[in-house]
Amino acid sequence: MDYVHLRRQAASLRKGLFDQGYLDEQFYQLEDLQDDASPNFVEEVVTLFFRDSARLMANIDQALDKCVKDFNKLDVYMQQLKGSCTSIGASRMKTECTAFRECCRDENIEGCMRSFQKIKREHSVLRQKLESYFQLLRQAGPVECATRPNK
Amino acid sequence: MASSQLVKVLIVDDDNFTRRIYKTMLFRFCFEITEVEDGKNAIQQFVDGNEYDLVLMDKHMPNMDGVEATRTLRGMGIPVKIVAITDDASSKDTFMDAGADKFLLKPLTFSMLTDILKSFNFLN
Repeated sequence: MDYVHLRRQAASLRKGLFDQGYLDEQFYQLEDLQDDASPNFVEEVVTLFFRDSARLMANIDQALDKCVKDFNKLDVYMQQLKGSCTSIGASRMKTECTAFRECCRDENIEGCMRSFQKIKREHSVLRQKLESYFQLLRQAGPVECATRPNK
Repeated sequence: MASSQLVKVLIVDDDNFTRRIYKTMLFRFCFEITEVEDGKNAIQQFVDGNEYDLVLMDKHMPNMDGVEATRTLRGMGIPVKIVAITDDASSKDTFMDAGADKFLLKPLTFSMLTDILKSFNFLN
């Protein structure tokens, strides 16, 4: 197996995530925390993020389905989700969360619905891309000579 | 300081992965770490007689939010250092009035944490 090629693919995918605005510099913070003591730290927290965010988004879905819309509750859920996105560096999702919260403040339910669809799309795309990235990293195996990824 | 030289930190945040991030940062300093998911459980830690040197307190949590938890701890006479860490910038005054020692906006970075620990003399 061509490990060099796999590592290049992983690096390219990673660069694309930053260049296309899916991730911001907060993700570098997570990468910097990964070391011999926590060799899979980034993948672990990313996995936790997608698990927790899926749960939050299910709550938001339920709240949006209700006949009587509770904008305060929706805003609280979305603030939580935005906080999670901030901590992991999920930049595009964070932007859409902000837009959703503005719609909550305006009590604009249609705007909330549209915004939430965007959040779901961004969530799904980011998940796919990061899953592909970590899969490539696993296939490529550990780097013999550790080099800092280009930022 | 809590009894024994080991710095004891209580992480209060309802996000699993946020707690994971904080824990990984704090492990680098070999601190003793406890984590809870909300303000109510944070209070219970102290009611149960546990001692901490530092609390990292989120704001928005179920059961009891960080502001209320901070206010309650101060009302109990607990002198622990409380650092509010939230993405809700508007809550700064409320947190400080409730008795927080510091207020930080998420995301917490390693350098922010180091600065805070230094300011409290937790790093020798």
